[in-house]
Amino acid sequence: MSNRPPSNRPPDVVPGLRDTTTFVDPLVRTKKVIVCCGAGGVGKTTTAAAIGVASAVHGRKVLVLTIDPARRLAEAMGIPEAARTPSPVPRAKLDELGIPIHGELYAWMLSPEVVFESMVRRLATDEARVQEILGNRLYQHLSKIVAGMQEYTAAEALYTLATEGKYDLVVLDTPPSRNALEFLEAPRKLSMFLDERVIGVFLPKKGAFMRAASDLIERVFSRAFGEGFYKDLQGFLGAFSGMFGGMRAHAEAVRKLLSSDDAAFLLVTSPEPAALAEASFFQAKIKDLGLPFAGYVLNRSWAYTRGFAGPESIQLPADASETERVALKKLGQLADAERWRAQRDRDLLARLRMETESGSAIATPHLGGAVEDLVGLGTLARNLVRIESA
Amino acid sequence: MKRLLPLRAVLVTGKGGVGKTTVTASLARFAASRGTRVLCAEMAGDPTASSALADALGVDHLDVEPVTVSENMKAVLLAPHLGHTKFLRDVLPMKLLADAAMRSAAIRRFLAAAPTFPEMGVLYRLLDLVRMKRRDGTDEHQMIIVDLPATGHALALAQIPASLLRVIPSGPIAAAVREGLELLTDKARTGAIVVTLPETLPVSEALELARGITQHDIPLAQVIVNRVPFDPFSDEEREAVRAMLAGRGPTLGERTIERIDRSRLSLARLQREVKVPIVALQDVWLDGPRLAEEMASLMAVESMP
Repeated sequence: MSNRPPSNRPPDVVPGLRDTTTFVDPLVRTKKVIVCCGAGGVGKTTTAAAIGVASAVHGRKVLVLTIDPARRLAEAMGIPEAARTPSPVPRAKLDELGIPIHGELYAWMLSPEVVFESMVRRLATDEARVQEILGNRLYQHLSKIVAGMQEYTAAEALYTLATEGKYDLVVLDTPPSRNALEFLEAPRKLSMFLDERVIGVFLPKKGAFMRAASDLIERVFSRAFGEGFYKDLQGFLGAFSGMFGGMRAHAEAVRKLLSSDDAAFLLVTSPEPAALAEASFFQAKIKDLGLPFAGYVLNRSWAYTRGFAGPESIQLPADASETERVALKKLGQLADAERWRAQRDRDLLARLRMETESGSAIATPHLGGAVEDLVGLGTLARNLVRIESA
Repeated sequence: MKRLLPLRAVLVTGKGGVGKTTVTASLARFAASRGTRVLCAEMAGDPTASSALADALGVDHLDVEPVTVSENMKAVLLAPHLGHTKFLRDVLPMKLLADAAMRSAAIRRFLAAAPTFPEMGVLYRLLDLVRMKRRDGTDEHQMIIVDLPATGHALALAQIPASLLRVIPSGPIAAAVREGLELLTDKARTGAIVVTLPETLPVSEALELARGITQHDIPLAQVIVNRVPFDPFSDEEREAVRAMLAGRGPTLGERTIERIDRSRLSLARLQREVKVPIVALQDVWLDGPRLAEEMASLMAVESMP
């Protein structure tokens, strides 16, 4: 906290607080899953958290789920890292938000290790099988690796959480864009990998018609990876083989859930040209996959100037020094640059609205350093939906 | 910047949205202008997605084989399947067997979908490009600059070799992984660049990333702070402006001053906590190839003696 410059602007006068409802209002009241996607660095994690807050305001029980390994959410919300289950955001933290929360807010940072172990425990037929899998060297390797595993993990966790019915709403913060795409396709990719025709050729017991392929694979893998690894791989796949049906069913269920009316996809973007380009690409992708696109959040925008006075209103005394006059002139130049940015961001918002059929796009303000704490999160929530004062 | 020139592999990393791709492109332009044969590389992803690196380099699209961008500069998409094919050809007794294996749908799908296998393929492909020679015996690509995915994934990629060696301690793949690990951890050949923004949270994350990289024995070469806002005020003017704003309501221009303040504090914090050189690049309101050009010229100025 010590390295944050002092701000003389109290949070209450941050501009742009809503006095009308937005397209986000019905989403946080009715949806079961809200997925936040977008390019890296646009504030997805923070937006996901703010959506969670906005929904909890309406009395719902909300879980914010992040697969971003950069651990931002936990810091802001005061929840433990690498927890085995979702953690409630402490009441004291909720009070810091500065808005009345009638519901409950939970947060969870997914760890592949934890999610996979619970999946194994749920799907394996008996304890001996569980131990066999958990003890497999390959399993230990795979479950600890983050690369490529987050997407599987997210789909699996989403399945569990959504089917348990413990939460009214799950808000999912996806990893940066290119990986988020993989997440959208994870269920399909997973079922591709788990296809018995693929897995089957690795297993010791095999049908005669697959012998040729199996022989080839055995030769390739023993040679390339060493005999020991090939045995491990067979052991791993063999132990898992009974669970594939269950995993595939999960993958299919997640796909169904994400395509249903219970889900909504929000695209978060910043005014940066690169982020906007990715957002457009993403929107097309979401449509292609038949997923319900709800609208854009233009985050970190400078669009709001309401409530700000121009430096022209500063009257210098007649005996003001040259330094003061120069300083005021320079402040004027900075103000002009901010006005230019405001206009640019309003134009952007208009363009985003035109890109959606329902005209659903909303801007949230650039809060500078303030968004790293809960006051900032509360302010963001108040910019996303209409919240009555207590 | 000049001290980066002898490196064979430069890994550009940082959280999303900090301008890694622009830094990659600018650095490539800078090195190419100094006579180094440069290869810019990006992980191959969704083939329908536009390539951010292609945009920054001003080319239409990138391919899995290196294409010439300009004098001394090529660009490539690091495709896992090329790494897999090359690896199998290297370790299997017959090229025929490797090609047969890669033709097998089961093997192809396994390698593409099984976790960590794609990343391994990328690593092997990188190694192959580093080893590539010209007819005269000099390196085909003297410097390969890799635009790595966002923070968590860069670390995840870095942890793979060591983790794999625990599972597969011997055999050809272990040898290949070891060679990859040797390259990644060799200070004389490899350097990681952490790119960040002059804001509180990005700097915290950059420090975390720098620590993680060092823990994996990958040499950290530099921290680049991108989009540093121009500070127009002298110390006296700043005092004067503070006094004017004190006690007033929100004023236009004030948010920019706060941004400049955060930037100063962030740079000071980095200077305190990081031992490698820190390069500050000023905020430039351009995009695409023009931005990379402008930044390359900033890098050239910065590295003058």
